[in-house]
Amino acid sequence: MNAVLITIPLALLLLLLAVGAFFWAVDHGQFDDLHTPGLLPLDEADKDVDAEDVPP
Amino acid sequence: MKTVCWHCGEPLPATVVQAQVGGELRAVCCHGCRAAAEWIEQLGLADYYSLRTQPATKPELSEAAERDSCLAWQRDEVARHVVRDLGDGRRETMLFVEGVRCTACVWLIERALQSLPGVASVQVNALARRARITWIEERVSLSQILERLVRTGYRAWPLHARALDDIRRQQARDALKRLVVAGFGAMQAMMFAAVLYLRGADAVDVSAEALFRWLGFIVATPVVMYSAAPFFKGAARSLAARHLSMDVPVAAAIALIYAASFVEALRGGGHVYFDSVSMFVFFLLAGRYLEMRARHHAGDLVDALARLTPSFADRRREDHSLERIGIHELRAGDRVHVGEGGLVPADGVLLSPACRVDEALVSGESTPTLRRCGDALIAGSVLVDGPVDLRVERVGADTVLAGIAGLVERAQVERPQLARAGEQTTGRFVARVLSLTVLTAAAWSVVDPSRAFAAALAVLVVSCPCAFALAVPAAITRALTVLARCGVLVVKPDAIAALAQTTHVVFDKTGTLTMPRLTDVETFNDVSPEGALRLAAALARESHHPLARAIAAACSDAALPAAAQVRSAAGLGLSGVVEGRELQLGSSRFIASSRRLPGHADAILLADQTGVIAAFHVSEQLRPGMRDVIDTLKALGLQLHIISGDATAKVADVAAKLDIARWRARASPADKLSELGTMRAQGARVLAVGDGVNDAPVLAGADVGVALASGAEIARASSDIVLAGERLSALVTACRIARQTVAVIQQNQRWALLYNLVAMPLAALGFVPPWLAALGMSFSSLCVIGNALRIGRHPSGVEAQARQPEHAAAGAA
Repeated sequence: MNAVLITIPLALLLLLLAVGAFFWAVDHGQFDDLHTPGLLPLDEADKDVDAEDVPP
Repeated sequence: MKTVCWHCGEPLPATVVQAQVGGELRAVCCHGCRAAAEWIEQLGLADYYSLRTQPATKPELSEAAERDSCLAWQRDEVARHVVRDLGDGRRETMLFVEGVRCTACVWLIERALQSLPGVASVQVNALARRARITWIEERVSLSQILERLVRTGYRAWPLHARALDDIRRQQARDALKRLVVAGFGAMQAMMFAAVLYLRGADAVDVSAEALFRWLGFIVATPVVMYSAAPFFKGAARSLAARHLSMDVPVAAAIALIYAASFVEALRGGGHVYFDSVSMFVFFLLAGRYLEMRARHHAGDLVDALARLTPSFADRRREDHSLERIGIHELRAGDRVHVGEGGLVPADGVLLSPACRVDEALVSGESTPTLRRCGDALIAGSVLVDGPVDLRVERVGADTVLAGIAGLVERAQVERPQLARAGEQTTGRFVARVLSLTVLTAAAWSVVDPSRAFAAALAVLVVSCPCAFALAVPAAITRALTVLARCGVLVVKPDAIAALAQTTHVVFDKTGTLTMPRLTDVETFNDVSPEGALRLAAALARESHHPLARAIAAACSDAALPAAAQVRSAAGLGLSGVVEGRELQLGSSRFIASSRRLPGHADAILLADQTGVIAAFHVSEQLRPGMRDVIDTLKALGLQLHIISGDATAKVADVAAKLDIARWRARASPADKLSELGTMRAQGARVLAVGDGVNDAPVLAGADVGVALASGAEIARASSDIVLAGERLSALVTACRIARQTVAVIQQNQRWALLYNLVAMPLAALGFVPPWLAALGMSFSSLCVIGNALRIGRHPSGVEAQARQPEHAAAGAA
């Protein structure tokens, strides 16, 4: 029972942190466009460029 | 020939663009891909990426008018409406970018703009085709940004500064947050409740029970207070308006279960349902979230109007010189000059002797009409020959074009709320459950007051309208997925229910039933028809005009030469350089007068420096397979109509060919809408199919509006369903799946009813402990979801058909 008294608050704390992190991500546009960024790394041609893409 | 874009892997559109990569021609889906592919190719050779080499591979920015219109955004009077000042010299605007098709386009636009000094941030949304751009006014101007975009191959329209607020983005973010909070809450509440369900079995003592009840309360509180807030707000709004919406019973159920469980927890009783209430909220929010996403992916009326309305006008000053001004500055009484191929900026009266205008935008008429001095001109129509002067009569919201947009909005509001039927059923059901709960409580308080509260609560939970609430969203979500695979994009999920009950189908003629098709090639000067077609197609594929597309589609040669310096004159034709020859393609008025041929008024001519090479005769023909589609629709028991703005003879001809008895020609958008009203008054459920601007009000006002993906922006924005790939056969599939979906929804609702009829009396009699109530609720929900998954799988084998092209595409790639 004592173990539960430690793990449950811990679980709630982690839950709070997870929700907080998620809210931060949503507010910073991480979920605005789920379509485009998902495809970018699949584009082989683009990958070459990303590697080379240093500002001149 | 490959069927997917060499660069991005998206399916190829009807008009293919070619990219020169590694000395070979590759088919790509758009100019963005072509530019990106060739860019990368260059990169491989140079081993270093520099944007300065980029313009060389792009089509030249040769059109002076294009640059002019970019420069005009410089004026403060114009910019004021589209730009927002962020302070410390930073400005922000929202652009609607035409031609964004895939990831490569997003990549290209972001790179191209970010390389401009002074551009602070660029965010492109491929789905909405919008770009949000922040820049520092001292170092770069909006005109330079627009010019860079044009150079990269995209046309962009600044949207009104209101678009920056982006209500939709805020909505989407809020909904996602609420959904995730509800999901986490439901999981945690379920976990804590599981301990309570196992009560008595093991080492859980009485004080621990109280602890877990309060833990359930802690995690359910944010779910009810935050996630379920939209239901409470909606309920409050509809109560204030003295009208019972679906939100009212839902909000009542949530509040009652939550409050009752709270009271139980205070009393130390065992009947708490914090897990059920969280799960209920989560399921409801999940359904709403999916519907909202589908809605946001559709076009926006604001974007559509931004594209149609000309942004500038050339106003004559007192001394007859011209000044370019923004459309917002135009006033009634101004004298305006319009060049050949230009857009008429506002409704007005013609001052010049005569001209011909293409009013297809507004009237749907496919041939240009003659206007004489004193006749009215409509904003948004294209001047076929000119230049002319006109006196402005009406501007802005008073123009015919704005009137069409108004018609669309009105029709959308007046749309019959057929699909709400499902929600009404749920509403009635919840109302009955609530009265039964009250009855149970009343009955028990007579028999045994100590059990009244627990029994009433069990009734509320065991019947928890989950299965009912899920019956519709689960089936609709499944149907949306299946239909999307068949190339049917359902914009408004309500449309599925309406589609299943359709009795009449109204077709527009031009562009919907028919498409221009090349019938004959006539050549001069010893040129072979194939050779002439090759040259013409190389030029024509640069344009989206229906006639140009007909020519491009007629050429089966995949390896077409690239066209450079392509210029288009709206409503007239195209010019450019192909294989070193300077070519012109267009109507006889477009071809330089020295090279004209007599007697080819209707044909499309191809000319080079020496003279006319070929004449292409294009006539309107039925889309392939149209007859089959019509016959199948008739077999489904639908009544078919044609209502067109086109000339009587043409419409009669098409109607006869398709064996459609009921048709009407020369109908204005308002006529079409009133015709629709008459049909509906006779009890018809009308499906409208169209693709033009003039169809938009009908599409918006019909029970179901179906637009073609290639159609006008405003038509798509006002429709419920968009057909990709221009295949009307998908409409038949859509009808079948819609009917199956409605059948499944009815099965689901019957099942939910049956379950409730069995479970509720037991709960009312006090036989159902909390764990059994929660289990029953989950079980009935799973049954509903399982049944929904059958849609599109079973009898017609639609899914198998739809999958075939996917495999073919994968094989080719």
